[in-house]
Amino acid sequence: MTPFLRNILVVARRDFLSIVATPTFLLFLFAPLFMIGMGALGGFGASQLADSARGTGRVVAVVGPGDVEPLREADARLRDALPGGKPATLELRVATSGVDPVTIAQEKGRDTYAVMIGPLASPRIVEREANSRSGRYLALLATEVLRARAAGSIAPAAPRFESLTRGGTSIAAQQSIGFGAVFVIFLLTLLLAGQSVGMLAEEKGNKVIEILAAAVPLESVFLGKLIGLLGVAILFIAFWMAMAAGAGFVALTQIDPASVAQAGASAPQLAVAPATGWPFFILAAFLYFVMAFLLLGAVFLGVGAQAATVREIQMLSLPITIFQVAMLSLSSAAANAPGSRLATIAQLIPFSSPLAMAARAATDDAKAVHLLALGWQAIWVALVVYLSVRLFRSGVLSGRRDWRFWKRTKDVAADTASRR
Amino acid sequence: MNDFSVEAKGLTKYFGAFRAVDQVSLEVPTGSIYGVLGPNGAGKTTSLRMMLGIVDPDAGESRLLGGHSPQTVRHRVGYLPEERGLYPGMKAREAIAFMGALRGLDWAEGRHRAASFMSELGLERVIDEKIRKMSKGMAQMVQLIGSIVHAPDLIVLDEPFSGLDPVNQERLEMLVRRERDRGATILFSTHVMAHAERLCDRIAIIARSARRFEGTVDAARALLPMQVRYTPRTDDPALAQMLPAGAERRGEAWQFPIENDAVEPLLARITASGHGVAGLSIVRPALHDAFVHIVRQVDAGFDADPEADAIEESEA
Repeated sequence: MTPFLRNILVVARRDFLSIVATPTFLLFLFAPLFMIGMGALGGFGASQLADSARGTGRVVAVVGPGDVEPLREADARLRDALPGGKPATLELRVATSGVDPVTIAQEKGRDTYAVMIGPLASPRIVEREANSRSGRYLALLATEVLRARAAGSIAPAAPRFESLTRGGTSIAAQQSIGFGAVFVIFLLTLLLAGQSVGMLAEEKGNKVIEILAAAVPLESVFLGKLIGLLGVAILFIAFWMAMAAGAGFVALTQIDPASVAQAGASAPQLAVAPATGWPFFILAAFLYFVMAFLLLGAVFLGVGAQAATVREIQMLSLPITIFQVAMLSLSSAAANAPGSRLATIAQLIPFSSPLAMAARAATDDAKAVHLLALGWQAIWVALVVYLSVRLFRSGVLSGRRDWRFWKRTKDVAADTASRR
Repeated sequence: MNDFSVEAKGLTKYFGAFRAVDQVSLEVPTGSIYGVLGPNGAGKTTSLRMMLGIVDPDAGESRLLGGHSPQTVRHRVGYLPEERGLYPGMKAREAIAFMGALRGLDWAEGRHRAASFMSELGLERVIDEKIRKMSKGMAQMVQLIGSIVHAPDLIVLDEPFSGLDPVNQERLEMLVRRERDRGATILFSTHVMAHAERLCDRIAIIARSARRFEGTVDAARALLPMQVRYTPRTDDPALAQMLPAGAERRGEAWQFPIENDAVEPLLARITASGHGVAGLSIVRPALHDAFVHIVRQVDAGFDADPEADAIEESEA
């Protein structure tokens, strides 16, 4: 191991342990539980509402006795073939004299979306909302019955269904995967990398920085701090992945085999895959997360190193967060338009590159380009760290009062130059 | 390889328009204990930082341990900064091992040495205590151990004695001598002359940003004439004429400075005069006096001609 690498690991080890071996870290680690808890509460409330409302919606057809059975059969045939949400339950009534569709529509206890009355060839349809789907559905049912009646009995087509196992995922689904990756990486870096802004404040506060600066190159201090924090982030992610996997396993053993089989039957629906395949995509997304983390962490660290007080740190972190959100917008726009010029730009700008390239891994099956992108981003990590160190060395460590670049006065520089 | 552990030439540093260090050069012989003395704010700390490559000089250069740049020999150097700092949440043993690890020492070996150093310096009670629970002096001793735990060839201590009680100061002096005997070179700054006088083989005095003296302690003391304190047996006002000009009477005794070559003639005169000798001492002034003398001279030069500095600089 080279001394430089060893120095990085010494600093990283110290930082990692000092973060992890505190009670506060547990709070940090379990913070998502609050989010999940809140989400579960909200979801429970919403599902209660949905449950109480479920089954109460209906469409009503008031028809002659001979039309009831054909309508029921047509409903059974069409209901499942319609794309999108299923139509409301069909309620069939035999027409009696003096029936008023408006009265039926206003019956208490059920939500009635549409009522059809009269002969099937020219029915009267009363609907709650003009041009509603429910009204169209009733008309479709009537047409279907008339058509079946006119054509006589036709054997339905007997298709053989085959599912595409490879390359079958739609571009839209791949784009969604890409967008999902962009968002998850962004969220994780926002939550985790932001901590690096205050990391050097500790050393400056307790004066350890001079020991570090004397003992090891500052580059390895900065990189060590980043990697220590990255270790914390990976621990955090691994913990929650393990929790999720464990919860999934427990859930599998708890539910009965029948529903597992049912879940297996719906598996084809889940079999969307990114263009590069799941294993490569997950690896690439992880590596891009690391790069996004290091890049943003380096910027945060560099800016935080310049700040003299906690308040300055907070003030400075706002522009960076805004910058970060701008990069998210760019990357998500790129994720939704793969192959466009915008996407290329987003992949080239170093700070949006990890996000945009993760999205690209979902829609484009080229793999070599990712090595190139990771190299490009790594160069930028090195560059940002180098610049941060230069600024830090020339400013903060020299102990001068006018070190802030936005406060450096021209006359001092001129004076110094003239004296040489 | 040469015989100097530190060779600094013409180190200069500006803080804005203020010249904090001006053309400071130092050569510290390998295996010696070297003191950098100076009043507060003279530029000692900045000079040391430039020598160690922590801050870049605006002019001049520094070479360590036989012509190496400071950055390449970090693992052979130990440094105690003026502003003490340790991670408060770390245990003493870990803090020392951490500082050793930064300089390339194995963690396990660092912990082992930490324990033996601390026991030796009477700190065995707090080996596994967190830094934040320690007194300032204790923490300073821990940091000092951390600076030398990797057995460096060059040890640089910035004001190591300040903040220590007399017992710990004694221990520190012992430690410095022992490290020298091990073969290390020790460079330390201080403004307490007693330590420098006892420890240093050579000293440099920095005042008003520049080096004003370099040499042995004795050479510094020799800058001032010896002081004579003479008490005659008889009380005769005529005695004054026999003594050099400037002799002052303090009670029974007379006090006056004397040049090296005037000692024997004076003794002869006193013996011949018949006034007798009730008491006689001829002593070199202490380093303290030499230091104050040098610093006052520099200050007087500045007060007399505030522009002198600027003129000197334009020549440089």
